[in-house]
Amino acid sequence: MTAAIETHKLTKWYGQKSRGIIDVDLVVETGQIFGFLGPNGAGKSTTIRLLFDLIRPTSGSAQVLGLDIHHDRLAIDRRVSYVPGELSLYGDLTGRQLLTYLGNLQGSVDADYREKLIQRLDLDTRKRIKSLSRGNKQKVGLVAAFMIRPELLILDEPTAGLDPFIQLEFEHLCEEARSEGRTVFISSHQLPEVEHLCDRVGIIREGRLLAVESIAALKERALRRLEIDFGGPVKAEAFANLPGVRDLTVEGAVLKCTVMGSLDALVKAAARFEVRSLRSIDTSLEEIFLAYYGAGDGTSADAQAGKEASHAAA
Amino acid sequence: MLLRNVFTKTVRDLRWPTFWIALGMGAMTAYFAILFPTYSKILDVQSLMAKMGPLAKLFGASGDMNTLTGFLHLELFSMILPALMVVLTAGIGSGFTAGEESRGTIDVLLSYPVSRRRIVLEKSLAVFLACIVAASITWLCGVVGAAISSSALPADKLAAACVMLVLLSLAFGSIALAISAATGNRGASIGVAVGLLVVSYLIDGLANIVDGLNSIRWISPFKYYMAGDPLRNGISLGDAAVLAGITAVFLIVSLIAFDRRDLAS
Repeated sequence: MTAAIETHKLTKWYGQKSRGIIDVDLVVETGQIFGFLGPNGAGKSTTIRLLFDLIRPTSGSAQVLGLDIHHDRLAIDRRVSYVPGELSLYGDLTGRQLLTYLGNLQGSVDADYREKLIQRLDLDTRKRIKSLSRGNKQKVGLVAAFMIRPELLILDEPTAGLDPFIQLEFEHLCEEARSEGRTVFISSHQLPEVEHLCDRVGIIREGRLLAVESIAALKERALRRLEIDFGGPVKAEAFANLPGVRDLTVEGAVLKCTVMGSLDALVKAAARFEVRSLRSIDTSLEEIFLAYYGAGDGTSADAQAGKEASHAAA
Repeated sequence: MLLRNVFTKTVRDLRWPTFWIALGMGAMTAYFAILFPTYSKILDVQSLMAKMGPLAKLFGASGDMNTLTGFLHLELFSMILPALMVVLTAGIGSGFTAGEESRGTIDVLLSYPVSRRRIVLEKSLAVFLACIVAASITWLCGVVGAAISSSALPADKLAAACVMLVLLSLAFGSIALAISAATGNRGASIGVAVGLLVVSYLIDGLANIVDGLNSIRWISPFKYYMAGDPLRNGISLGDAAVLAGITAVFLIVSLIAFDRRDLAS
């Protein structure tokens, strides 16, 4: 079966500015909801705009639905929808007129399905687009994307500005698409927004794809926060430089740290002392996500900064 | 109905600008055609021009100013009408790829099965249609106005001048289009096209009184529009071909440039 999206060493180099992407090898299987995660400026939109041939790669190649992104452009456009991150639509048209225009460009649209979408997303199609709020504009974009029943939907930060009710409806639409064997590719800088929706996520940072994992595997590899109470005071040095251990603090007889992957090294180091209790606190995917971010230098300050950035951007 | 494709959508976008410019051009032409007999009674334009001497030639005076043909040539076709038409083609029409790009609508448009070349071609066709509409209304107003004032104004010669007007404005429009397609910079595209219009107008006008400029007169697109005096002599096929050639070359440049480039986000 051909993958919905497949890139080979896809690179867009903008010189010294860091906004490009480098050697991205990404495979998105059909019939999945795939989350493409990374902070603002990591290269998410650059990757998506490359897939739509709006910008051209410096090197590498990519296929969408098995078709070459440049040479088979129109064939791809007939089968794929796109909602850009900074969605901009013809402001002088009403929502209804815009949907008519885009439907005509597409060729044929199932009018009944379109009307259902308009109802479900509670969209007022009589208003001119320039008078719509960001969330309502986004709804126009989503109706336009879903109405052609594409085999692949590529949505760049689709939930920005949507109220919770509409967001839920949007998630239903994505799940329906998946149940019909279609593929949804969602970029986001906020994992919690998409973690319950996605089957797999790819994490991109500073233009490099760091990891592609199933949500399940990501949870398995969970970052655990541990607290160990010892029989007496211990020295932090005894636990220094253990593999997978980070954010280590020792206060008297209490050790706190986070561990990624196996607990073996830490447990063996702790076994040299009297262990009174050991608590493991499950971490959110957000923290796992941030652990990847911190992978470069491993400082919690970095992870914390990333967290703040993602909240600020929300 | 006007939302069928990129061509009809562009016609829709251009309908009001085209209407206003056509209205302006038509009204001025009708005004001069109707009032010409009154003008020429009050004012002996021919002798006024004679007093101005070589300066009159700077403004493109040619032929007999006591005929409506000579009068319209000087008053309208030498400067005002080309300027208005170029505003239509360069200012409004060819800002369109850059306009869609700077507003960001190009991302959505190109995600539908429409190629970049098709967008440029369909939009160009819409601008071409807008020019024809504006020129036709101008022609009609001239013919009707001349009939009202019983002045002599051969309809075929007026048509020839209008055709040349369309060709001239398309030439400058295509230059603006090429810059806009190659750079995505709408301001630069309008600025350069209008700047070139002014420079080429000045070269052609000044060449009438400054001998030294005659040797470079051929580079001015305005020469091919003005020199044959189409309002008196009808169309010179050679001149028309040069203007059409300029348009064709820059249209091809636009197609290639827009197809190859990274589009701004």
